[in-house]
Amino acid sequence: MRVIGVDIGGTFTDLALYDTESGATHVHKVPSTPDDPGRALVTGVTEICGLAGLTTSDVDAVYHGTTVATNAVLQHRGAPAGLITTAGFRDIVHIGRHQRPQNYSIMQDIPWQSRPFVKRRHRKVVTERVVPPAGEVLVPLDEDEVRAAARELGGEGIESVAVCFLFSYLNDAHEQRAAEIVREEMPDVFVTTSAGIFPQFREFERFTTACMNAFVGPGTGTYLDRVAGSLRDEGVPGNLHVMMSNGGVATARAAAERPVTLLLSGPAAGILGGQWAGELAERERLITFDMGGTSADIGIVTERGVAEASARDTWVAGYPLLVPMLDVHTIGAGGGSIAHVDDAGAFRVGPGSAGANPGPACYGNGGAEATITDANVVLGRIDPDRFLGGEIKLDREQAVNAVQGLADTLGLGLLEAAEGIITIANANMARAIRSRTIEKGHDPRDFTLVAFGGAGPLHAAEVADSLGVPEVLVPPYPGITSATGLLTSDLKYDVMRTVFQVEGAIDAERINRELAELSDDVRGRLIEDGIPEDDVTVTAALDCRYVGQGYELRVELPDRHFSDDALARFHELHHQEYGHAMTDPIEIVNLRVTAVGVRPKLGEPKPSAGDLTEALLGEGEGVFRQNGSIDVQPTRYLERARLPMDEAVPGPAVVFQRDTTILVPPNWSARSVPSGNLILSRMRP
Amino acid sequence: MSTIETRVDPITASVISGALDSIAIEMGHKLARMSYSSIIRESEDFGTVICDHEGRQLCESPQSTPLQSGPIPGYVRGINRRFEEIGQEWKPGDVVMHNHSYYGASHGPDVGFVVPVYAEGELAGFSATTAHHLDVGALTPGSCGIVNATDAYAEGLQFNAIKIEEEGTVNEWIWQIMRDNIRMSDIVVADMQAQVAAARIGAERYSELIERYGLETVRGASDDLMDYSERVLRQEIEKLPDGTYSAEGKIDGYLDHPDPKYRDLTMAASVTVDGSDLHVDLTGTAPQVDLPINMPFEGTVDIAIYLVLRSILLDTERHDPVPANSGLFRPIKITAPLGCMANPIFPAPVIARFVGGNIIAETVMRALAPHKPDAVAASVGNLKVLATSGIRNGNQWVQMDIFEGSYGGRFGKDGLDAVDTLYGNTRNNPIEDTESHLPLRVTRYELWEDVTGAGKWRGGLGSVRDVEFTEPGGFSIEADGNKWPPLGAFGGADGQPGSIVLNPGRDDEEDLPSKIPYRKVDTGDVVRMTGPAAGGYGDPAERDADAIREDIADGFITEESAKRDYPHYSG
Repeated sequence: MRVIGVDIGGTFTDLALYDTESGATHVHKVPSTPDDPGRALVTGVTEICGLAGLTTSDVDAVYHGTTVATNAVLQHRGAPAGLITTAGFRDIVHIGRHQRPQNYSIMQDIPWQSRPFVKRRHRKVVTERVVPPAGEVLVPLDEDEVRAAARELGGEGIESVAVCFLFSYLNDAHEQRAAEIVREEMPDVFVTTSAGIFPQFREFERFTTACMNAFVGPGTGTYLDRVAGSLRDEGVPGNLHVMMSNGGVATARAAAERPVTLLLSGPAAGILGGQWAGELAERERLITFDMGGTSADIGIVTERGVAEASARDTWVAGYPLLVPMLDVHTIGAGGGSIAHVDDAGAFRVGPGSAGANPGPACYGNGGAEATITDANVVLGRIDPDRFLGGEIKLDREQAVNAVQGLADTLGLGLLEAAEGIITIANANMARAIRSRTIEKGHDPRDFTLVAFGGAGPLHAAEVADSLGVPEVLVPPYPGITSATGLLTSDLKYDVMRTVFQVEGAIDAERINRELAELSDDVRGRLIEDGIPEDDVTVTAALDCRYVGQGYELRVELPDRHFSDDALARFHELHHQEYGHAMTDPIEIVNLRVTAVGVRPKLGEPKPSAGDLTEALLGEGEGVFRQNGSIDVQPTRYLERARLPMDEAVPGPAVVFQRDTTILVPPNWSARSVPSGNLILSRMRP
Repeated sequence: MSTIETRVDPITASVISGALDSIAIEMGHKLARMSYSSIIRESEDFGTVICDHEGRQLCESPQSTPLQSGPIPGYVRGINRRFEEIGQEWKPGDVVMHNHSYYGASHGPDVGFVVPVYAEGELAGFSATTAHHLDVGALTPGSCGIVNATDAYAEGLQFNAIKIEEEGTVNEWIWQIMRDNIRMSDIVVADMQAQVAAARIGAERYSELIERYGLETVRGASDDLMDYSERVLRQEIEKLPDGTYSAEGKIDGYLDHPDPKYRDLTMAASVTVDGSDLHVDLTGTAPQVDLPINMPFEGTVDIAIYLVLRSILLDTERHDPVPANSGLFRPIKITAPLGCMANPIFPAPVIARFVGGNIIAETVMRALAPHKPDAVAASVGNLKVLATSGIRNGNQWVQMDIFEGSYGGRFGKDGLDAVDTLYGNTRNNPIEDTESHLPLRVTRYELWEDVTGAGKWRGGLGSVRDVEFTEPGGFSIEADGNKWPPLGAFGGADGQPGSIVLNPGRDDEEDLPSKIPYRKVDTGDVVRMTGPAAGGYGDPAERDADAIREDIADGFITEESAKRDYPHYSG
């Protein structure tokens, strides 16, 4: 089989092609086409086939990480959407949790009030009411009202409708019926039901998720159709698949129905790429660290897989979102992040960014403010002649001028100021990692940092050092790790159902019956997608809490079967997570089932190697902070592709490759390993 | 800038500042997840803070509500004062419980737990959490709506610097007293233990930070960061013209009370700006009463004022983030005559002080408004707290719902609709959570349509929430703003007062005042709360006609009221 992964970024569209028969991997980059992202995708696919000596008709599948839905939310450009909801509750999506996003602000906006996905004029109410505990119907659905609401929405030019009723997570019959009526009345609209997206309690969050789906649905569907069509026109016979926020891929058809599951498509692919590199090196516990021009994404992998975000932590563009997603933590720290001193004398780096244009001062495009990249240039960590494989020539003098200006303001020397920019940026990133490790009960000393993106490997070792992380792994293709990640993922569907069952009165038979139903459902979806039955694995879990708590912990169910053992494991998990367990009864809140359809995986790269003499490109001066003071040390410049295999090269050194630059600080060493990774290790002093 | 003297280099200070923030965030995150009552886990009515050895705040969790995190330095001061009176001192391994309203606590239900941190052989600081508890043993169920307590003793248990753990030894008897004297003690005790666990996590992290950088550096950086925050605030105060600016506001008090001294109470504020110093004096505020709407000077009044000044002068929407530490208190002096509602004398009751503080805050905002017109809002719609309770299968249940108000119009923007206001910033309880666990049904929750404070930028809309009892039970409410409307600003119209109605639309419908002591209700009874519509900003005649048309299209207002409120609008 031949599969292609395509990750579309703001500047470049990255591609990786893997041929399962020959084991060959090819990588490629083409400029992105932001006005029509699919154009770069199609160009790239055609070109990478050429590079690999194949024709497009040889391609079995294309895997795509897309930001189309994300951008629609961020830029608030979506379809005119309508909402049909329970009478008396027209403004659930407007009032929200009545909390202001910022504690200390008079002039703030509330996103769901100032930029609603569904304007109030398009929010219609109908008579119906479902109640707990079992989803009993208190008030039957008034179908005539639904029909009238749909007609009104049709008359208002609505292209997408969300149906959101209270307690639909317990009984979605009313939502389903209303959706059916809407489809009858408005055959061309995109219809979403709140329980259909994610049947979990907390009405504001569930309704908002459904409204967001309605808002981005038509645009995402059109985009995916167009890309699939263009690929067919180019003669690509295989299906288009799309990366979802949960780290699985879905067929373009399934993804188009639930575009709200695609919002972290790109970053999720990055984490998977990092996980793949970690697996090659047989490392199980990983912190993935993807730093580019404007931001850095952080993810966590343990022996239990990639960490997922808990429901209270999933926000996109300031809106809450109730869908499973990998726990990607994004901070505004990238090569273009601007360093500045505020009026009261605080030294800050980011979140403002010089972006790609004008970019850092050293790009010579008129940027005058000092950025992280400028600091790296001043410190001799980026060679102005070898940036991005020499594609962009950097102007060291401009970098020096920008950093000198900042140094004068601070009363520091040039090198101290440049080093300070790096230290503060690294501390910000270390703090972000701490929030995903120490704050969640993981000890970073047990982890390997996987560094990629254009800037990640430059900062990784120092960030690792400050966290006590003993080693850094730089994947074979650090600049296109997301595209490779796309080739390592499986087809995946998550479903869940809220049950609210309390220890002492648990209906185990019902739970097991519902687990079986959910399992059949997701298994069926994969088989529909063409996955052979033998390649499908289905797993199940429970979300549990002590009765009265508001947040759940996930207990895995071996064999997808519930028994009292699961409750015992909850006590252990609670202890692990929070440092203590209680004796209170446990409440099972949700059942969760995940089906994975295994796909062929990217194989091991075959790294080239040489010896140290061949690898040595030259020597310069590097500036480092050692025990709190600034130190200038002779620093070797090395070429990654020619490094000797399995030989530790001590720092300080800067290692170059086409798509990134790797810093090996003093007291660290670098070693090429047969899996194609470069491993940086902290040397014992 | 280069002339600013610092103790620690700015790079290290920046790193330590970030590390301190992440400690408070972790404490808040774990507290919310471990706790049981919806007032903590859903409403997030809690605070987490690290203080230095002098009890000065170094950081706070942004997840916490300002009225919980803000008072924590006062809790530490209050404990120190009490220790001095009784000849006690801090020891390693202590855990101290505290809620005394006349020793720095915000009010009795907000119980604080403080863990001292020792490093290099000396007291290095404190890790503290506060949270609102369901019940602390007051005269009627719950810890809100206790509007008929006649003195501090009727408000529930008072913990004045009580060591629940002494040098590592746990005193189980304290928990035993709690179990015997408060309702729903299982939940309350579990929530308190979650607070202790979160405070311990903070203490551990703070110790690790000191181990890494050394006590001297951490102290130096902390001092630098407080100086920095102070400097930032002073720069903003200096931009205000020197002078004294005054305003007055009214609260309902007890509208049904026969004695007028309990009704229509004045809150007065004079703000004096002198260079970079700012003095708020509350002389003119009504005398204290023997019902619990007095406000602790330390823990409520001071926090309300700090909050509003910070929100105006260092608005996080417009201003770079500033470390949330005690440096922000230094340029501000607050005074209030002893014996007024804003500085009552023990044992005057204070438990229902919440809604009055909002009017203190907004009176300060109105005093400053003429000199900061682009950074203030017209008056806010005040809040309500509903306590519901009952006995189910022999077990007591209590639920607290903080019900929102609204924000006034602002320069260039309409007000925020249906939100918690000023020093409160909690979250409502999801209907799907409430109904799944309690014999309550929410039958309506939406905006209060067609009632707004008109203005060039109109006030935010209030909201309506109907809560029905599906079993017999009881309720009580502390609220304000049933009589006095939120005021308009700069020519904007006043908003509309809110209301509380029992059994709307039924023969036995009853309009209730804003303070309702505990009363029993039957199955099927409905409490309707309507939040006030906030005041408008600027002359309504200047409102953009398109904005009026959009409001009509969205049903925020009707064609009729548009024609009434906006003379230039003709359809």
